[in-house]
Parts: sequence; structure tokens; C-alpha cells
Amino acid sequence: MTTVRQWFAAQGWRAQAFQKECWKAYGEGKNGMLHAPTGSGKTYALWGGILQEALKIKKHPSGVQALWITPLRALAVEIQQATQRMTTDLHPDFKVALRTGDTSQSERAKQKRKPSFGLVTTPESLHVQLSTKEHQKNFQYLKVIVVDEWHELLGTKRGVQMELAIAYLRCFLPHVKVWGISATLGNKDLAREILLGPIENYVTVNAQIKKKIKVKSILPKNMESFPWRGHLGMHLLPQVLKLVQKNTTTLIFTNTRAQCEIWFHRLLEADPNLAGSIAMHHGSIDKKIRLWVEEALREENLKVVVCTSSLDLGVDFSPVENCIQIGSPKGVGRFIQRAGRSGHRPKAGSTIHFLPTHAMELIESVALQRGIEEQQIEDRIPFINSYDVLLQFLMTLAVGSGFQPKTLFPIIQKTFCFQTLNEERWQWLLNFLVHGSQSLEHYDEYKKVTVLEDGTLKVVNKGIAMRHRLSMGTIVSDATLKIRYQKGGYLGSVEEWFVAKLNPGDVFTFSGRNLELIRMQNMEVIVRKSKSKKSRIPAWMGGRMSFSAHLSDLLKKALFEDRNQTTPEFKALAPVFYQQQRESIIPKPNQFLIERFETKEGFHTVFYPFEGYAIHEAMASLMAYRISLLSPITFSMSFNDYGFELLSDQPFSKEEFLDNGLLTHEYLHEDLEKSINVSEMARRRFRDIAVISGLVFQGFPNKPIKSKHLQSGAQLFYDVFKDYEPDNLLYLQALEETFDHGMEHGRMTQVFENIAAQEIVWRDCSQPTPFSFPLITDRIRAKLSSESVEDRIKKMYLQLEKAGQ
Amino acid sequence: MKRINIKGNHFVLHPSGVVFWEETKTLLLADVHLGKVAHFRKNGIAVPRKAEGAFYQKITTLLEAFEVKRFLFLGDLFHSFKNNEWLLFSAWVQRQKAAMLLVEGNHDVIPATQFEQLGITVVDHWEEDAFYFSHYPTTSEDRFVFCGHLHPGVRLKGKGLQQLKMPCFFQSPQQLILPAFGAFTGLHILSPKEEDRVFVTTGKEVMEI
Repeated sequence: MTTVRQWFAAQGWRAQAFQKECWKAYGEGKNGMLHAPTGSGKTYALWGGILQEALKIKKHPSGVQALWITPLRALAVEIQQATQRMTTDLHPDFKVALRTGDTSQSERAKQKRKPSFGLVTTPESLHVQLSTKEHQKNFQYLKVIVVDEWHELLGTKRGVQMELAIAYLRCFLPHVKVWGISATLGNKDLAREILLGPIENYVTVNAQIKKKIKVKSILPKNMESFPWRGHLGMHLLPQVLKLVQKNTTTLIFTNTRAQCEIWFHRLLEADPNLAGSIAMHHGSIDKKIRLWVEEALREENLKVVVCTSSLDLGVDFSPVENCIQIGSPKGVGRFIQRAGRSGHRPKAGSTIHFLPTHAMELIESVALQRGIEEQQIEDRIPFINSYDVLLQFLMTLAVGSGFQPKTLFPIIQKTFCFQTLNEERWQWLLNFLVHGSQSLEHYDEYKKVTVLEDGTLKVVNKGIAMRHRLSMGTIVSDATLKIRYQKGGYLGSVEEWFVAKLNPGDVFTFSGRNLELIRMQNMEVIVRKSKSKKSRIPAWMGGRMSFSAHLSDLLKKALFEDRNQTTPEFKALAPVFYQQQRESIIPKPNQFLIERFETKEGFHTVFYPFEGYAIHEAMASLMAYRISLLSPITFSMSFNDYGFELLSDQPFSKEEFLDNGLLTHEYLHEDLEKSINVSEMARRRFRDIAVISGLVFQGFPNKPIKSKHLQSGAQLFYDVFKDYEPDNLLYLQALEETFDHGMEHGRMTQVFENIAAQEIVWRDCSQPTPFSFPLITDRIRAKLSSESVEDRIKKMYLQLEKAGQ
Repeated sequence: MKRINIKGNHFVLHPSGVVFWEETKTLLLADVHLGKVAHFRKNGIAVPRKAEGAFYQKITTLLEAFEVKRFLFLGDLFHSFKNNEWLLFSAWVQRQKAAMLLVEGNHDVIPATQFEQLGITVVDHWEEDAFYFSHYPTTSEDRFVFCGHLHPGVRLKGKGLQQLKMPCFFQSPQQLILPAFGAFTGLHILSPKEEDRVFVTTGKEVMEI
């Protein structure tokens, strides 16, 4: 019989050190964590170990023995093919099956009848399998769970889903091995502890593969025309086109799907010869089209693909020679990941071009280069006490075989996420599921989970079980509608609120085509091709990414390091720096800059902590709150990665601000709590929580009407909890998440301690400065007010009347 | 509170979202959506029950403030099919001395006979004096229309790019749309035209914009 090593030799490959290390550790029965970049041969490092062990056993039971979890469906296909290839050669009787949301009913039935040796699946599909009555029997022969791309799951609620699934499977499979595969992370040890749980028998394997990454900024010939604001970077189109033409294959990364559509369109417009060799790839495009694009990339049939983070992961595209990043990648780790898409062969170097969309991003380019040099990679912050995910999981078990609260409680407590869960809160969660409240009331007909005679909690109502099965998962998106040609053929999906703004006959751009809306029908948007030149680009709601702590440190340093002054980026920035210094200053490391100027919109006060969007959002609320304690005032705020702006219709005084020491780190938590109570952060967080915990039901597929009586927005729930049940754990979770993830509370304290050591420089300027420009032109705003609603309305009334004259 | 004059009659716009017609001592309520919370709960969605109880509290306060001879519900009184909330509502109705009239709305799926057994008159629309009462916004040749259905709200803008969404009474030349009275209901944002009058309610005060 061939061994794994012989198989490697037969392929003409040499096993790498980390692969051998994994095979050995696996053979010794260890759990482990492998840190290796994509495309390094990490799949075989683990699958080799798994097969090697299986080959030693003569008689195999009929049941799944190896479970492989990947975050993306597209990746699952790749893994299934790679592992099947090795398996077929070494043990022809073994099969590796694929089980994702795309798997057909008949295929599922087949898997049930004849389970395969290996199963590649996603966290969501794994939970669906746990919601069946027979799941304990189906997994009884399971020997190993591999979680691939763990860095992508950690720091998300899907990570919590994995923690729960593993802890649960372990309770009836005490000998199951758990392995994780992850890219390099800042907090490696924590990442391991969360996945593997509190165990001793583990190894950490590091693949020592260093790739050379070169970063080049795309600069205009003439800096005078470089925009001070913007997010598209279209002024650099000619340079991008040149790069595309020079290389065989180019990937262009954009940060949003709308940006992706626009760039695709404009590239094709600028060079019609690209037709047929240009493609687009983003999460809303139909799966079939995406798969086609991926295949075409592999076969070198495409010259350029414009994409979003949908192509960040996995999938090996060896032919890609060149990558372009449009706008800030927001973190060093993500930038390295994207750069790694080019020259994707082991040991080949990568080049990535950075296209700054406005002047400030040029500084960022330099910062990113330093970050790569120093290999500073971000931490991923794990979620804790995600009651929404836990409630969903409890429902998952309850719609299946049911659960005994007493046995389950200690299992849940073993997870990292719920290590501090106490008896009282556990009881709250159970009450929530069984009674829908904390006290039993007359006339209440609440129905969800039933307590059976033996104490098992189980769902008996079929409608409730079905609604739960349809809404499992922790990825929340707005209601989407499928786009379909009148004659048939799906193009992808678009969010409901965008379509709601369109009338039949209107033309919009999707997937690079101009489409005319014919009608909406059964949750589908029926369209036909349009020759019209005028069209609208759909916007997709999505999280706004924020700078990581590392990147903001790098950015602050980048501004002052002498060696940077001679970089092409800084030379190009000279006119901007000149203008900034004429009106204000470029803050030194020991300075904290505040600018004040007046425009027709009101009084702008701009602060520059350089700490990233998320921190600035919270800081803006906090400062606005503290100032508003001095006298009644209303602010509207905007923030970006460099600073934040408070805009008001009356100025607050510089002296009062400075003399009262409003930048203190004392009472930080208390003040934050008060200021975010009136802000929108928790409300936004609550949206996901409401969906995940099953409060908001997104409807049956293709049956929009029937469930309408049960549909309600998360906003409405948030208001009702706030007004009538402020001790609701889900409502409290929204607040806690806002602190931990929205504002990174620990980091916030650090920021204020740093400010205490800085000199505060307040500049009164005659006009907006280059640094302030992206901020004051941002139209996405939050507000904070210490005036009563009635007072504010009175003012607004005046304003409206003026506008009417 | 705000007192307005329409076709020689006097109407009080109350911060709770109701209108009191002084000449006939009639309380107009739109979109109460009773039983909505109960309906959600029956289907395993845990909306706090207190949100429904708010109806009875609010209405008790109103009965202290006005001498009400008649209730006129402008549709969507009950959100869905019968549930236990119906029992609570029946008990409340029986304690009331005032007459009750329901103009049917799209959510009122409970058969009219059931309302009539409680002594509530159910009509498709109602005409009285110079006024026309309906659930849906509509026009009448010579009568002024009171209606609900939309859950109207407006977006206010102020200096410094401030924004605020508030429920409102929305008056156009021949029609007044009432805000939703129910607690667990949403807002539909309207854009006023030149000739419209908008009365925003904060729950404490009614203010004309």
C-alpha cells in the first residue's frame, strides 16, 4: 500500500517541513493549530495525517469520520476536489462528500443512506445537521474536525457557532480531535485556545514561508489635480488601464460592491477591446457566474477581474500576475492577503499596486509598506456572551432531538464565548425560549419551546421548527431580491431598499450590464437589457471597515519618520502638506490637533486622533456629550479613519473646552455609556442580534405574503425593548457589543491615556484644511443632542421656513 | 395639545396621537393594532407584553382628559386573527359607557359580527356632517377626510445636518391622516407639499412645523 509520503513523491512534490510535522503530530493523536498561508499546501498537511491514520485500520464503519469546515462555499468545492484526489489514489473505497447550502435534496438523501468517509461543509451546514434528530448517530464514528481559515471565522459570530458546535460534539465524542488552520494572526495563542478549548494535548505548527511583497503606489503625473476627497479613484483610470494592458492577468480589489460595478463599467468604457476578457466578481453576483469567473481565471482566459473581498480567500489562481487595491484596505493583514493573490506559487514574490482615492490615503500607502516590512499583523477580537447565537443554537437542538438544560449548561460554559455564563442568565435564556419573558402571565399564549415531562426542551410546533430551520445562520443581510431576465437566467441579487426606489422602466447597472426594470414579482426583479447610457448603480449596505490599531500606529509614525520624506508618495503630497501648513499644522507625535472653522453649514470643529473609524465614532459621541453638558447644544458628527468632526449651529468656546479638560480619560466608561445611549451604535448592532436570535423573521423564500403578519423591523424591537424591557439580555448584548467591538473599549482607554501626554493644539482656520476635507464632505452622519426634542424641533421649524422662502 | 378648526368644527390633536372632536365628543383613533404583540408571541417571537398593555394605560389617561361620548376607530384596530388579547379587549369594551364605531381597515380580519357582538358598530366608511371617516387616505367631493393606515411620520432637518424622524398628524387641504396609536408599529415617512400642514408629536407635545 502506498503511504502519503510515497504519494507526494509520485506527484513530483517534496513534502515541506510543516507538512511532515503535522502528519507526525496527527499520528500521535494530538490536536493542533497550523499557521500557514493559502496556497502553501496546508490542505494536504492535515488530510495526509487523517488518511495515514485511516490506512492503518482494516475495517471501517459506515459513517462520517472526518469533518472539514470551511468559511466559504466556493472554498468547500476546492477542498473537496483536493482531498478526494489524494483519497482516490490512496484508498479508492473512500469518498469525500460536500455538504453546503447549495447541496441538493437528493444528494443529501444519498449522504444519509451512504455516508462518506470525509465531509466538507460550512459552519451553517454543520448546525443544520445538528438540528436533525439523528445527529448523534450520524456523527458517532467521527474522529476529527478540521476548521479551515479559522482566522476568518474568529472574531465573527460564525466563530461562536463553531465554538458551540465543537463543545457540543465533544460531549458525546470525547476522543474527537480538533485541528485548526489559520493565516498568521496577532493573537495566535488566544485563537488556538478558543478553537481547541481548554485542553493540554495540542501542538502549534508554523509554516515558515516568507513571501516577498512589493507595494507600489499609483501616482498621478500632476499632483495639483489630485482630489482631497472621494472614494472612487477614477482620476487614476489611465494608469490602471496601462497596468492592465501590461500584464497577462490583473485582479482589481475594491472595498464595496458599488465601487466594483463602477470600476468595471469605466474600464470597459475606456478600453472597449477589453470586452470578453474583463469580468466582475462580488458577493451579490449569481453563484454560477462567480464560479465561471473563477474557472476562467484559472485557465488564463481573463485579462482583468474587478472584485471585492469575495476573492480574498482560498481559491488558487496561479496565473494572476498583478493586483491593484483601490482605496484603503484598512488593515495590514487584509492587504497582505490580497497581495498574496498574485504570484500564488510557493516562493514566488508578489506585487500589489495601491491606488489612493484621495490625498490622505497616500500617507496610508507608506504606512502599509512599513507594516509589511515589520510583519505587523492584526489581532482578531473574539465575541463573548453572544446570547443571540446561543439562543439560536438552543433552538437548533430543540427542533432536533431536544436538550436537557442540566446536561447542556456545563458544556456551554466550557466555550470561550460563554465562560462567564452564570446560572441566573442561563435561566433567563431558558425562560425566554419557553415563556417569552421572565414571568408567567395570564392570557399569554407564547409558544416556542415546550418542556416535556422528563425535562427535555423541545419544539413541538412544526411551523416554529420550520421557521427556525429557514433562518439559521449568523450572516445577516438586508432582504435581497433575485434579478432575473424576462426570458430566464439569474444574474444575482440586489437589496430590497434599492429596488424599492426604482420604477418600471428605470435603468440600473448590475454585474456590468445596464438593465431595465420591467416589474417585481415573487421576490424577483424581472429585467431586460437596456441600451440606455444613463443608469443607477445599486448600493449595498455593508459594514464600514475601520482601521486596525496596528495600521493607525503605523500611520501616525509614517507621518514623521524622516526616511519617508523621500518616498514618491510624500513627494507627491508636497502641495497638500503645503496647504495644510498654511492654514493649520501637520501634528507631530506629541501634538493633538483640533481645527475650528465656519462655513455656511455651521461651525466645524475637527479632531485628529488618527485612530480609525470605529474609535472616532465613539470619541465623537463622547466629546459631543461632554461639551453638551456645559450648555444645551446639538451636534451632527462625521468620522473617518483619520479624525472626526463635530458640526453645530452655534460655536462652543475654545477656552471652555480646554479649561474644563474635556479630553480626560477619567469617567471614560461612564461618559461613554451615557453618550452612546443616545447614539445609534447599539441600535445598529441590534439589527443582527434580532435576526440571529430569531426575533426578526426574514420570511419564507418565494412566499413573501404569507408571513407578512409576522414581519417587523429590528428597529421596532429595539424601541420596544428600550421602552418596555430594558433588562432584556439581547438589548443589553447590543450595548455590550458596542463597547467591545464597536469601540474596542480597551483601546479607547489607551487612546485617552496617550492624549493626556500630548500637547493640545487648537487652530482657528479661515477655511477648511486639506486634512478636514474628506470629513466635512461626508454625508453619513450621526447626531447627539442635549437639547430637548421639543427645543430641537422648534429650531428645525425655523430652518425649514427659511428654506421655503 | 393643538386645537384646530376644520369646517367650523373644533378638533384637538393630542400628543398620544388621537384627535378629539369637541362638537360631538368623539375620540378618533387610528391604527391601534391590538393583538399584534400577542400574535407575534403566539408564533414564538418574544415581544414584551407590556408594549400591548400600553394601550389601556394610554386610553385611561385620555378618558380622564376628555369627556368621551363615542370612540371612532379608523381601522386596523385588531392586527390579526383572534387571540387572547381579544379577551382583554372585550373586557375593556364592556366597561366602557361610550359608543364605539369601527371603520374597517386592511388588518381587521376578524369578522364584523364578532365586533358587533361587543356592541361595536362596523362600517366600511362613515359620513357625518361635513366629514368623511375612512381607514385609507381618500378624497370625498364635499367632505373633509379623516383617515389612518399610513402611520405617517416626517423627517426634519436642521442646521448642522441634523435629522430627526417623528410621527405626525398630516393635514392636506381636504384630509387629515392620524399617526398610529399602537406601540408596536412603525413609521412611514411622508414628504409634505407646500399646501400641507404637519403636526409633529413627541409623546409630550404636539408642534406644528
